[in-house]
Amino acid sequence: MATHYKFLNVIEKCINCGACFAICKDQNKVPHGTARVKIVTINEGRPGEKNIPVSCMHCTNPPCEAACPTKAIEQKVVKDWQNKEVIVVTVDKHKCIGCGYCGWACPFGAPQYPHHLPAELEERKGIMDKCTMCVEPFDPKKGEERLAKARCGLFCSTKARLGGDIAEIYPQYKEAKARSTMAWQERVI
Amino acid sequence: MATRTNSIGKSNGIRMSRRTFTKLTALGTAAALSGIGSVSAITDKFPMIASASPEEPGVKLVKSNCTHCAVGCGFHGRVENGVCTGIEPWLENPINAGSMCSKGTSIAEILNSPLRLRTPMEKVGGQWKQISWAEALDKIANKMKEIQSKYGPDSIMYIGSAKTSNEYCYLMRKFAAFNGTNNIDHQARICHSTTVAGLANTWGYGAMTNPWNDMRHSGLIMFFGENAAESHPVAMLHILEAKRRGAKFIVCDPRFTKSAAVADMWVRFRSGTDIALLWGIANEIVTKDWHNKDFIAKKTYGFEKWWDVVKNYTPEVVEDITWVPAATIRQLAYEWAHPPDGKPACICWAMGATQHTVGTQNIRAMACLELLCGHVGKPGGGTNAFRGHDNVQGSSDTSVLSHLLPAYYGLTEKDWKHWISIWNEHAPITYEELKAKFAEYPAGSGKSLMNVTGIPVSRWHDAVLEAPSQPNPIKMVFVWGHSLNSIGRTKTLKAAMEKVEMIVGVDPHATIAASLADRPDGIIILPASTQFEQDGSVTNSARQTQWRNRIVEPLYDSRPDGWIIRELANRLGFGQHFTYEDTARPTSDYQRMVSPELILKEFNRGSLGIMYRGKTPERLKAQQLQCATECNVFSCEDCQAKSGPLTGQYWGLPWPCWNENHPGTPILYHDTVPIKEGGHYFRTRFRATGSTPGNPISDDGVSQLQEGGYDQKNADGTDGDGWMYQINESFQSLIDQNICPSGTGRARFRAWEMPDPVPVHREPIESPRPDLIDKYPTYNDVADLYRLKTPYKTIQDERKNLVNEYPFILTSGRQVEHMGGGAETRSCHYLVELQPEMYAEINPAVAMELGISHWDWIWVENRRGRIKVRAYVTERVNEGVIRNGRRVEATIFLPYHWAGILEGVSYADRWPPGTEELAYGESANTLTVEGFDRTTVMQETKAALCKVYKA
Ligand code: SF4
Ligand code: SF4
Ligand code: SF4
Repeated sequence: MATHYKFLNVIEKCINCGACFAICKDQNKVPHGTARVKIVTINEGRPGEKNIPVSCMHCTNPPCEAACPTKAIEQKVVKDWQNKEVIVVTVDKHKCIGCGYCGWACPFGAPQYPHHLPAELEERKGIMDKCTMCVEPFDPKKGEERLAKARCGLFCSTKARLGGDIAEIYPQYKEAKARSTMAWQERVI
Repeated sequence: MATRTNSIGKSNGIRMSRRTFTKLTALGTAAALSGIGSVSAITDKFPMIASASPEEPGVKLVKSNCTHCAVGCGFHGRVENGVCTGIEPWLENPINAGSMCSKGTSIAEILNSPLRLRTPMEKVGGQWKQISWAEALDKIANKMKEIQSKYGPDSIMYIGSAKTSNEYCYLMRKFAAFNGTNNIDHQARICHSTTVAGLANTWGYGAMTNPWNDMRHSGLIMFFGENAAESHPVAMLHILEAKRRGAKFIVCDPRFTKSAAVADMWVRFRSGTDIALLWGIANEIVTKDWHNKDFIAKKTYGFEKWWDVVKNYTPEVVEDITWVPAATIRQLAYEWAHPPDGKPACICWAMGATQHTVGTQNIRAMACLELLCGHVGKPGGGTNAFRGHDNVQGSSDTSVLSHLLPAYYGLTEKDWKHWISIWNEHAPITYEELKAKFAEYPAGSGKSLMNVTGIPVSRWHDAVLEAPSQPNPIKMVFVWGHSLNSIGRTKTLKAAMEKVEMIVGVDPHATIAASLADRPDGIIILPASTQFEQDGSVTNSARQTQWRNRIVEPLYDSRPDGWIIRELANRLGFGQHFTYEDTARPTSDYQRMVSPELILKEFNRGSLGIMYRGKTPERLKAQQLQCATECNVFSCEDCQAKSGPLTGQYWGLPWPCWNENHPGTPILYHDTVPIKEGGHYFRTRFRATGSTPGNPISDDGVSQLQEGGYDQKNADGTDGDGWMYQINESFQSLIDQNICPSGTGRARFRAWEMPDPVPVHREPIESPRPDLIDKYPTYNDVADLYRLKTPYKTIQDERKNLVNEYPFILTSGRQVEHMGGGAETRSCHYLVELQPEMYAEINPAVAMELGISHWDWIWVENRRGRIKVRAYVTERVNEGVIRNGRRVEATIFLPYHWAGILEGVSYADRWPPGTEELAYGESANTLTVEGFDRTTVMQETKAALCKVYKA
């Protein structure tokens, strides 16, 4: 049975190195100005600083899917790089009309509607783009099939970002959190 | 199908399979670069390590290593039809287990960058003109001959690189020798030269003692002037793992860095007061009797005389110097002496500690702190100097340095003869023949400059403009893979570059070697291949050497560095010494005549002082193959092979790797394991007058042998320095008897022959505390330091009250997205998107007083000039204090990767057309102070004074 592909972020370990952002751009040829994963920093520059990688979370009940009037967004069963059947949330760029409803519905602000694009990407203008677990690049070709592989997770500097089969990454997440001594301590000067 | 757990083990297990199913059609920019031949035939003699992707015909994964820092992360280059179309994680590499930072993950983009220099170019009549390789090389060689005969061989400065492979670094050093000069230097001078001097003078070797992964076993990890989250992000993989296991992580830094954000404790101290803070900690430890008296008695020298100095640095005294409250210093001391679970503590640093006038002494102080509690020489302990460039350890080992010969041999006749005997085996050359190439100075004195340290890279521009102690100033410069904006005082640099007769730049990018000088001609730039287009070995900070495979053939009209060196050598008439033909490589291969395998073997043979001898190309490749064919061979815990034919070997065969049977020495001075399993002792390196073989003594007559120890050995077991010079011995019999050929000596609290035998606090040249200058003055002026006059005291006194004019402390550092001078990373659009502009960090309180808002344009100014940058208003930097009604001692932080704008004026138009980087900015080093480390001439970039105002 297909399992869900998810992200779990051990935010105490994220050091804002930007690897997830850069490998995603490299792998999916996401143009300048659009990001499928981005780091949001809170309390920057003072004790309590935390970095949170934000992207599509591939929800089990995706509100964006419910909001989409053209059924462009769907939960799809695809093969992953370990040859497993997995579920990811994808968008069919040929059906998307760029209405922005998914952006309203998404709790994470993951859907992007790029406007400043080079000429060769003209037809992608305003059309929704988001993380697809590397299944679809920014400019997918018809009929092209890629395997799900959460490269941002595999490349993450500190393994703060865990991406993949939820059954595999959840135990890792739990272990990292449970035994962590990451909390900012009172002893700070 | 088979799945398995990756070597990172239970803690962070990523289940993955050997097979990859990657399919890629989005070729992007890479596809536009068609016309590139397919990857060269795999030779049988030295197989290239690439695994085909069985499910995807046509896709090949080539193992390689990142070129952006000395962590040495491995990755797979994905090659389709001879084009690198991206990268995939190399999950079995024990160092990084697949992880990389943003610079690493941008490698494919950097490699395929359309902004790279494509052909040799010459500036003529103010215009850039394409020229052929033959024409360029002829012109350069002719100019070299002209300069050598007109001004002498020392008038050419060779600036080498920490980004070339070990082999070509070695070739570069040899090239300078054959050109009759020691004026060769590279980034290590301005990176960790003080680490090498500080550590080597304490216990024998000047390198990071423990591997990256070993920090997992630490009880306490203390950072002093290191910001790994930006400069060595994947080191944080291991540090945060240690933390998860219960280790404490303490960051001492003037800034609240990204590393401090994930630490347990952060201590802000004033830039340039490291020694005072370290001594405050040490003082408290000894006062409380927490030091390891047994270790000190058995294995160290000079504790009492050391204490005579350190006893004065009580926490209260130190509080006044460093800003750190005495109670905090006491707590640091407690933590240092009592790491959790009884595990050892390690201390880590980078440029924050090394780039000071007292850099070497900072490092000595940290080493002494390790000795004090006996933390060194154990898993989890040690002094971990995080080196910068990917191969800066290797380029130091091969000694692209003006005071050393390869493998840290000195410049004495004995050392030259050692290397000449090696070179002579390759092609005939005698000591006299080589000596004849060097100048005599002063003329008629009979003294050869062969034995005199050359010009350091940190001051090469002064050697153009001033009168160095050599026949003539520098007249021609090779900038061979060095970003000049990492050198201090950009305006002086510019003046020097406008004065020399010729500049030769060799780099994949045009860099400021091509553009800083405003001159119509006299610049030739050559496109070097990146390290992803040539084979060679690379040594990371932890002394681990990995074989970096060529991912694709050289793009554009670029050439491997070795090829360029040989072509010049041919034209200068000594090409036979630079020809290493590997007939198994095809004739179309630019590395055929400069085989990295053969060159590495030559270096290894002579490298006795550090023992690269076991690091043969065959063994390095066997490790990689093993790692490619079987999973989890090399453990992520200690980098040791736990199964298969290589069982027992350590990843990268860290030196000293005594011979081809040796597994490598992962932890220096780890004396509880046998030598043949990677054990090691403090060296018996130091001998004052009166010492005899078998009895090395200090200047005050104390034996330098540790309890029950012995002196360094000859191969036959007698006392002597034969282990460094007997090139035909394997030393196996000594190792079988568990005798360490480098001896078992004492580590030194007191290094009697150094400028400060025991480090003392010395205020920076530009100090914000005039009242402390008299008590803690800098060094006296030096008439001749590395051939140049070097003032200390005079300029410190003259600037005693400078704080009245320039109230803030200027310091500089790294951004994770950029590397070094930034030519590569500022040409990569993902990285520029993350970090698009140069800025200065300024505290909100300071900004408010000056009427500055976030992202306003501001000027940062001091005596060297001024730079116009954005204001980054953040609490990362301190707000200073109010003294005499004025705000002083606030820190202004500048990232140093930028170039292209000087004092508000862009010089982007001076780049050859088509090679302009995507983002330009002011260089932080425009404002660097004229301060240099007293021992190694490291530049002081971390503590100067400045003022700030709205633009
Ligand atoms: S899984 Fe792939 S597409 Fe999604 S954010 Fe990560 S790298 Fe980008
Ligand atoms: S790669 Fe990992 S550590 Fe780096 S920014 Fe992304 S989530 Fe954070
Ligand atoms: S720069 Fe350093 S940490 Fe980042 S990927 Fe390269 S080697 Fe690893």
